[in-house]
Amino acid sequence: MRFLTKNLSLPVIVTWLIYVFLLVPSLVVIPISFGTSNELVFPPQDWGLDLYRRALDPAEGWLAAAGRSMVLGILATTIALLMGVPAAYGLSRSRFPGQKALTFMLMSPIFAPTIVVALALYLYFATLGMTGTMAALAMSHAVVITPFILVTTLSGLKHLDRNIENAAMVMGATRLQIFFHVVLPALKGSVLTGGLFAFLLSFDEVIVSWFIARSDQPTLPVKMYSSIQWEISPVLSAISTFLVAITVVGSVVAAFISSAETDGI
Amino acid sequence: MTTNKLSLQQVSKAYGYVDALHPTDLNVAESEFVTLLGPSGSGKTTLLKIIAGMERPSGGRVFINGRDTTETPVRERDLGMVFQNYALMPHLSVFDNVAFPLKVRKTGAEEIRRKVGEALGTVQLAHLADRKPQALSGGQQQRVSIARAIVYNPSLVLMDEPLGALDKKLREQLQHEIKQLHERLGITILYVTHDQQEAMSMSDRIALMNEGRIEQLGAPRELYFSPKTAFAADFLGNSNFIEATVSEVSAAATRCRLSGGEELLAPRRDGVRQGDAVRLMVRPEHIRLIGGDGAAEDNVLTASSLGPTFFGDALEIRAQIADGSEVSVKVANNFEVAAAAPGQPLRLGWSSDHTHLFASGSGR
Repeated sequence: MRFLTKNLSLPVIVTWLIYVFLLVPSLVVIPISFGTSNELVFPPQDWGLDLYRRALDPAEGWLAAAGRSMVLGILATTIALLMGVPAAYGLSRSRFPGQKALTFMLMSPIFAPTIVVALALYLYFATLGMTGTMAALAMSHAVVITPFILVTTLSGLKHLDRNIENAAMVMGATRLQIFFHVVLPALKGSVLTGGLFAFLLSFDEVIVSWFIARSDQPTLPVKMYSSIQWEISPVLSAISTFLVAITVVGSVVAAFISSAETDGI
Repeated sequence: MTTNKLSLQQVSKAYGYVDALHPTDLNVAESEFVTLLGPSGSGKTTLLKIIAGMERPSGGRVFINGRDTTETPVRERDLGMVFQNYALMPHLSVFDNVAFPLKVRKTGAEEIRRKVGEALGTVQLAHLADRKPQALSGGQQQRVSIARAIVYNPSLVLMDEPLGALDKKLREQLQHEIKQLHERLGITILYVTHDQQEAMSMSDRIALMNEGRIEQLGAPRELYFSPKTAFAADFLGNSNFIEATVSEVSAAATRCRLSGGEELLAPRRDGVRQGDAVRLMVRPEHIRLIGGDGAAEDNVLTASSLGPTFFGDALEIRAQIADGSEVSVKVANNFEVAAAAPGQPLRLGWSSDHTHLFASGSGR
């Protein structure tokens, strides 16, 4: 009994209640997804895999949308990594006028309301006649997720001993050799976590995609959102369960990478 | 005539209105071990950074191996460098760390294997080649870093307080190893430290730095036995300073009077005249305790003991002389402690040859 009272102090109970409060709404879709009803009902009356069958039926378009989101996520993350990692390195290792302003500019998509960014991107790509293309979608997402890559890479660089780079320079390495052979391997962890995080953000993004994507070729979140508007389909619960699973796996992998990195260095 | 491996000509550095380094000349000959010694803020790190090319000098020229490298990028200066915190690449094995400068130089795989093997053998770490640096002790990591700095035969190896992060025992052992390495391989080393014992035990020459300039340059013995300034006398080894006034200058010696009335003899020093206020310095180990009335030394002071302190290898006795200032005396550890109990009268004697005379208010 003492064991219980000792472990169930008020702060511990409150912490657990907050966890439950935060988690339950996401988890409630899981039992619903194993129901057979034609409406979103909790708890489900009959159990079955009907909803999953429908979610995986090509005719329903969910698979195509998921594939689109996957490709989009990979493209956007690649662009963001190619821009964000070198930008972070440059910003942390040099001093030049306007540096603060440039950093702020690169980070601004985090601060600006997404709807504003989305509208701006829409107007921009409309002028170029590119709305609805995968290229426009990927670039738009890259704009939104690059700041996150920048933040994780900058924090990784802060922990990197400057003298290691100095040593490499004295030993005759060029800036480029230092970046690829010294800095990048040491940043592997933060770049991977940042990339994974950025991918999840892109995969989850609704507002910008809503503006840019073609209405007959929606991304997964856009299709989910519009299907709620018209027909609150219970298939959504199956899709959501998939997404929860993917996010959990992604976060666990990210956590694993960053803890492995802290152990390694 | 051999060219100097390093030659600094009137090198200076100013940050805004602050002179971090006054115009400085320094030559380091081939196979020489020169140490920049000084307290923090003395300009030794600034000088090292200028030589490495990480800092631009405000004036003057830097020559490495006879070549003007003042404007040369860091990586083309042909230098090796050892840092206090080792600066090894955590993702590379010991072997790959040492191989790095060779790989950058596009050396062939066969030659890399041979040279890295040699270098690791030199620092006795060949058996740990496959380990990651984090798996090694501090002393081992610093040896890897030394191997990495010598494997490509740079013109000059810079060592920036390389033993500062190690404990005393290990520091002494590595001092010895670096010294041996230097003698065996004939590498040219510019070493930076604030530890005067380290500087004295390892260097061929010491450049003692203070307030942005080289205060005195010379062999360790020269700096220790003939310090040119009170700062040099104070920074290297232990020293006792006694305030006095010059009472007589003769051809052979300077006679000085203390405020307590005693007189002491010091060697003649140019520019010192009768009536000048001076500071006399004598090292604790040069003072003898004289029993009875025997005046075997030409400088004798009576004092009252403030008590002994035991240091293991020696005993330090602090004593107060007539003018109220304190003098410390270093004696063998088998000294009869009772004779130096607090309040005991003592007679301190030393040779006038061991007395150094400085103008009052200089240095410190």
